Amino acid sequence: MINFGFSINRARTIDLDRNNLRKSNEIIGEMPELQACIGCGSCTASCTAGNLTEFNFRKVHTLVRRGEYQGAYEEMNKCMLCGKCRLVCPRGINTRGIVMLIKRKLGDF
Amino acid sequence: MTFFTKFCIPFIVGATVMFTVLAIKYIAWLRNLPKSDWRLIAKNFFSLRTVTALWEVVSESLLHRRIFKVNPALGYMHMSLAFGWFLLIAVGWAETVAYLGMRWVPLQGHVFFKYFAALNNISAHNPTFDFVMDLLLLFVLSGVGMAWLKRVRSRILGMRKTTKHVAFDRIALSALWFVFPMRFIAESVTAALYGGGGFLTSGMGAILNKIASNDVLHHIYEPAWWLYSLALGVFFVAMPFSRYMHIFTEIPLIFLRHYQLRPEAMEKSYDNFEVEACSRCGICIDPCQLQSQLGINDVQSVYFLRDRRYNMLQQKIANNCLMCGRCEQICPVGINLNTLRLNSRSSMRNIPHEGRYNYLRDIDKSSGEGKVGYFAGCMTLLTPNTMSSMHNIFQAAGEDVWWADRDGGVCCGRPLMLSGEMDSAQKMIDYNKALFTKHQIKSLVTSCPICLKVFREQYNINDIEVLHHSEYILRLIQQGRLKVGHTKDATFTYHDPCELGRGCGIYDEPRAVIKAVGELLEPAHTGKNAFCCGSSVANTAISDAQQLSIAVKVAAELEDTGAQTIVTACPLCKKAISRGAQRKVVDLSEIVAQSIK
Repeated sequence: MINFGFSINRARTIDLDRNNLRKSNEIIGEMPELQACIGCGSCTASCTAGNLTEFNFRKVHTLVRRGEYQGAYEEMNKCMLCGKCRLVCPRGINTRGIVMLIKRKLGDF
Repeated sequence: MTFFTKFCIPFIVGATVMFTVLAIKYIAWLRNLPKSDWRLIAKNFFSLRTVTALWEVVSESLLHRRIFKVNPALGYMHMSLAFGWFLLIAVGWAETVAYLGMRWVPLQGHVFFKYFAALNNISAHNPTFDFVMDLLLLFVLSGVGMAWLKRVRSRILGMRKTTKHVAFDRIALSALWFVFPMRFIAESVTAALYGGGGFLTSGMGAILNKIASNDVLHHIYEPAWWLYSLALGVFFVAMPFSRYMHIFTEIPLIFLRHYQLRPEAMEKSYDNFEVEACSRCGICIDPCQLQSQLGINDVQSVYFLRDRRYNMLQQKIANNCLMCGRCEQICPVGINLNTLRLNSRSSMRNIPHEGRYNYLRDIDKSSGEGKVGYFAGCMTLLTPNTMSSMHNIFQAAGEDVWWADRDGGVCCGRPLMLSGEMDSAQKMIDYNKALFTKHQIKSLVTSCPICLKVFREQYNINDIEVLHHSEYILRLIQQGRLKVGHTKDATFTYHDPCELGRGCGIYDEPRAVIKAVGELLEPAHTGKNAFCCGSSVANTAISDAQQLSIAVKVAAELEDTGAQTIVTACPLCKKAISRGAQRKVVDLSEIVAQSIK
């Protein structure tokens, strides 16, 4: 394989009808501001943990909102809670609160 | 001589219940103290600390000197109740001795002495004791009157808001309010019927004699004493379960604190003494910006401690705190409010995942060396002006610098600590410590007060001197390694970051640096009383709009000084205040870098 310096995700579908959205609804219910996310990725770009690992906050919370919980808790645990994402978020989302909420809600997944 | 009649029963039952519950609680707490705490007690018991503790008991538990500093009227109210009641008991005991000589008298004999004196036909009165006891009663009654007044109009006593109380507190409070007026009435009726009493009770007795017949007075005589005893009994029963638990708990707390016991990252038995020593005076409510600016009324330290004590603490309450330390600074009991909140958060944290931060093992690609390590910190990486200013300062001073995290580093661990995840934070601490040791730095400079606090308190890097950049820059100027020009018409105002000021006690260094380059104008709230910028990493509950609202208020006060530029020494404060300010907000290093000669 030629290394182009980037990779792309494998093609797959997310079936919202088949996914169990209970946890997702709970998370959005507790912090509805998460729905204001425009997916700009500033959080991920500034992320301290993301600079060192593949951790991608935007990806994780987007998947969680769609009911894809597999591995989300383990990923979220890489976060150092430093709070840079909250400072750069153009939508003013309380990202640190979201990290803690997702960890709390998905601890048993 | 008899010292018992039926109305004593409520008092005796109340006192028995109170002392039994107190004994059970204190013994249980002391027994559960960890061994390390017991060693501290054993080590410090026979030392000067016991004497200084004793003095603090007098000055705080009785005289309430720290409340006098908050507001003299409020201090007088607390002192008159505490010290006045203590003196009533002490002088009352001396009074019985004066009348009856040194002999054993049951507790109720002292408390209801005036009644038993009449009952046992002790007719010779001691005018000195009558006068002193009445004076003390007046002293306490004036405090009760002020307490009533405070409930109606708290502002008269310097409090914008007072505590909202739970049922047990209300019962105890009402009983306490009636104890002294009932005592006054009972003793006045006694004076009216049997003579004696000082200026207050005999004066009231004379009035009673005028307006009521002897027959009526005889009818209300026993009921008056019954009501006094009932008020005491109800207060004593409610006391160990209410806010008044602080009356006794503050005493062991002061001793244990003098023996160097402190709350820690994890909850422990000592915390009980601190939690139950809170009198819910509510002095912590007014300084809280979440209250004054955002109108949040259920998260302040007084409510946090109350909820924790009654096991009804909710995570959203524990999390909703800026940990700015303004309440801890003013708390008259000296409770370690921030540490207690942290270990509550720790008890409520999610169960950490075993493999988390395993990635820290092989990410170290650091290189270079230098005598001075510069750790910018996550937040400083978002304020590049601070970074480049520090770069210029290092260059001008000819410093040999090793940049610890210019190309991205690992967080210092404090944000995780502030969320109660001490075990996770420890992994960051271990990583960074290894990094500092590896590069053999002699001193560590950071621009972020959040990092500074954790470096100083948790890192145990004793062979490396940890400096905030304000301290470091001041040192460079004083040593003559950095020459800065003073501009007369450049006016600055300074915002004290919470973690730097109240957190690390650094107030003077940044001011000295500012004065070296221009004029410093102080805002209304400054130094120990400085506001929080509102964006504290300790709070994960408030929204962006709420953070902004606090920042606007803080910025407005800073701009009121008329200074051209707002200076702060924390990247997070800079970010936060800039959002609310009309004028330029800069870091301390920027104004220094601009005036390098």
